[in-house]
Amino acid sequence: MKHYHEQDDVTVREIPRLRYAAIGWMVLALFLAAMTSWELRMRAVGLMAGDIDDSPVAWAIERKRLETGEHDGVVIVGSSRILFDTDLDVWQEMTGRLPVQLALPGTSPRPYLRSIANDTQFDGLVICDVAPEGFFSPFVGALPQFVGMEKSWRDRSPSEHFGHQVGLRLERVFAFMESEYSLFRLIERIKLANDRVGQDGPYYDVWKLSVSYPHRQYFLWRRVEQPGFLRDHARAAWGPFGDERPPLTEGMIAASIADVAASIATIRARGGEVAFVRPPSAGLFLEREKRNAPRAKTWDRLLRETGSFGIYFEDYAEMQGLEVPEWSHLSRDSAARFTRAYVDVLLREGYVRLRTPPEAEPAG
Amino acid sequence: MVFNSLTFLVFFAVLLVAHHLPFLSWTAKKVILLIASYIFYAAWNPPFVLLLWASTIVDWFIARGIWASRDRSRAVRRSWLVISVAVNIGFIAFFKYGEFLMQNWQALMQAFGVIWVAPEWDIVLPVGISFYTFVTLSYTLDVYLGRSKPIESRLDYALFVTFFPHLVAGPIVRPTQLVPQFYAPKQATRDSMLWGLGLIVLGLFEKVVLADGGLANAADKVFATSQPVGFVDAWLGTLAFSGQIFCDFAGYSTIAIGTALCLGFALPENFRMPYAAIGFSDFWRRWHISLSTWLRDYLYIPLGGNRGSEARTYVNLLLTMLLGGLWHGASWTFVVWGGLHGLYLAVERWLREKTGVAGDPASALSRLALALVTYALVNVTWVFFRAEDFTGAARVLAGMAGLAEGAAPVLPTMFVVKVVVIVTAIVATQWFMRNRSLEEVVVRAPWWLTGLVTAAMLFAVTITQGSGQAFIYFQF
Repeated sequence: MKHYHEQDDVTVREIPRLRYAAIGWMVLALFLAAMTSWELRMRAVGLMAGDIDDSPVAWAIERKRLETGEHDGVVIVGSSRILFDTDLDVWQEMTGRLPVQLALPGTSPRPYLRSIANDTQFDGLVICDVAPEGFFSPFVGALPQFVGMEKSWRDRSPSEHFGHQVGLRLERVFAFMESEYSLFRLIERIKLANDRVGQDGPYYDVWKLSVSYPHRQYFLWRRVEQPGFLRDHARAAWGPFGDERPPLTEGMIAASIADVAASIATIRARGGEVAFVRPPSAGLFLEREKRNAPRAKTWDRLLRETGSFGIYFEDYAEMQGLEVPEWSHLSRDSAARFTRAYVDVLLREGYVRLRTPPEAEPAG
Repeated sequence: MVFNSLTFLVFFAVLLVAHHLPFLSWTAKKVILLIASYIFYAAWNPPFVLLLWASTIVDWFIARGIWASRDRSRAVRRSWLVISVAVNIGFIAFFKYGEFLMQNWQALMQAFGVIWVAPEWDIVLPVGISFYTFVTLSYTLDVYLGRSKPIESRLDYALFVTFFPHLVAGPIVRPTQLVPQFYAPKQATRDSMLWGLGLIVLGLFEKVVLADGGLANAADKVFATSQPVGFVDAWLGTLAFSGQIFCDFAGYSTIAIGTALCLGFALPENFRMPYAAIGFSDFWRRWHISLSTWLRDYLYIPLGGNRGSEARTYVNLLLTMLLGGLWHGASWTFVVWGGLHGLYLAVERWLREKTGVAGDPASALSRLALALVTYALVNVTWVFFRAEDFTGAARVLAGMAGLAEGAAPVLPTMFVVKVVVIVTAIVATQWFMRNRSLEEVVVRAPWWLTGLVTAAMLFAVTITQGSGQAFIYFQF
């Protein structure tokens, strides 16, 4: 057989002569020592084993539960407000059903509501969070890993699903597995004395705010609940409260309501319903929201034009006095109180009926 | 599945155990490897295994057909070859270039005043299709060109095409490089296993820490902006991408070589310190070696190579590089990337012929200066490779040329620091290792230093917590 090129030869690789046993043991010992130190350091920072990273796969798993066609099911869409402020265990304890939690941080619920209306046969209750600045804005947002999830959730590969299961098991053991405390997040968040003009670095981004558990149960992280640097940083990260953002325009509000109204009509046509919830905010955040998205022009109009029921936290005595440590999300204890309060309203108004005995599995 | 995922960790651990079970026959072990390779591919999108099977089966029969008709006319053998090329290129044309062809057809029609709207093209690109298609094509072409006989065993042939370490992003292996390794039982020795594991750690470090953790977000930020980009940001973004794509792709190849070694097999080198290249022919002897040699052997040489007139040689060179560019993706920006490299190679060839200079300059300073010029010009090509469209490429190139006065900074200071530190380290390391292999360097280093560096890389990989981000070359 003729051989024309060097590629025609069988590949042989040189294995360098090294002290493999000594190197192998050294690598193992150093790696274990370094990992043990890192794990202990991360626990000292306040990270905990069992706090699992939310991911597109986790979202897709919850999304699939909509396909089961529970006619009295409940699904939650919205931003981090309803995500952090809803205690799924309380929901389940009060109603016997575990809601499908599809809210995503930094995201408007409108595309998700549209997706539920048009891409599913869901005929239960949709709880739709209204964080006014996001809800009525033309920008639908979403963290980079969740962009387009309402369309692409089916694309998760078997490999990703398997990796998710392995990751869950590891995260139950190791606290360091927290993307907000990965090596480069920590490096990028070092504050430098001479930042480039006009370019705020990742130091000024939102840092770790939450802990999360199975079924996408989020809560505010205990360290952010307590007074101190992390809570102050979180407040500051919500934006320059002094500046005057341009208020939402009439056109933006009208377009948002029209979009939502179309989705609601589709869901109602097959026997489902949508209820809105406006969770609490506080401090300069609340002041800005009132300034930029006045209730009468946004919330009241939304309910009126869509003929929907809504729960605005300021309207209920049992929703007063809740703790909003970083002005946007409730503390864990207040999230339980708020959930109890708003589910109670939904039960009273007949939007949710008791399901006995409870059928769903516990939230975490 | 991707190498930098927990799924692969479990998959590989189970496979290593199965492959080293002492009571299994060699055939049984090869069957296990084949099934594992299909699982590896199906874990991404199960139905596309059918495409892999189709490509495998077609070339199995065609190679035998070519061989059986070796005493018949050339036209008969050529018709077999045409079928193979048509099927393989047909798959790529449909899945990878379908939308591109439609859009260009639409634009062409509109240029002639015909209003025709291309239908929506919602086809998922099968991962690694360009790689395994080139592998099966090289098999058929080798049989056609008389370089090798058809493989006798179906199992060996299927394993050659599907062997998971090279399946989705290379190195693009030739039958003669890999198939003979399947003939006799192969077991990794302790040393090759540990060396292989070391390479896996090195590859993961390149991918997870340097490419994804260190450089990706700086490149993304610069290439995503719709505002004018200043001189510093444009260069930093491009340098970040140059480092990212090297670490991403070379990292993949290093992991592939390491995993194969752990199983007792050897895959060819795919990168040899490309950013230390002096000139562009040198660059292409160091960058994606398995593709450049494939294009040379199956495209450039069959086109006539440098055997014809001078003008014909330049045409062959340009054509090869243009098609090489298009191989990377269905976009004119990739064609321009390939075209620029073709132009660089042509100019270099012309300069060498005019000046009569054959090798590298004698002085170290001149070599370094030429290497830096090469690297800078390679960076210009990366702009077209990375940019979404020509508008984006023009924006970054204008910045690199200092034509975007008054542009606001894009990268925060910490990103600037990251890019400068990592890219400098990459280029300096490649320059130091320009004429050395990793094996040589490690043998000369004290054993404890090798242990320390490996442990540090493993630690960095673990605490960087990669998100299983896909390798850039998966899309090609």
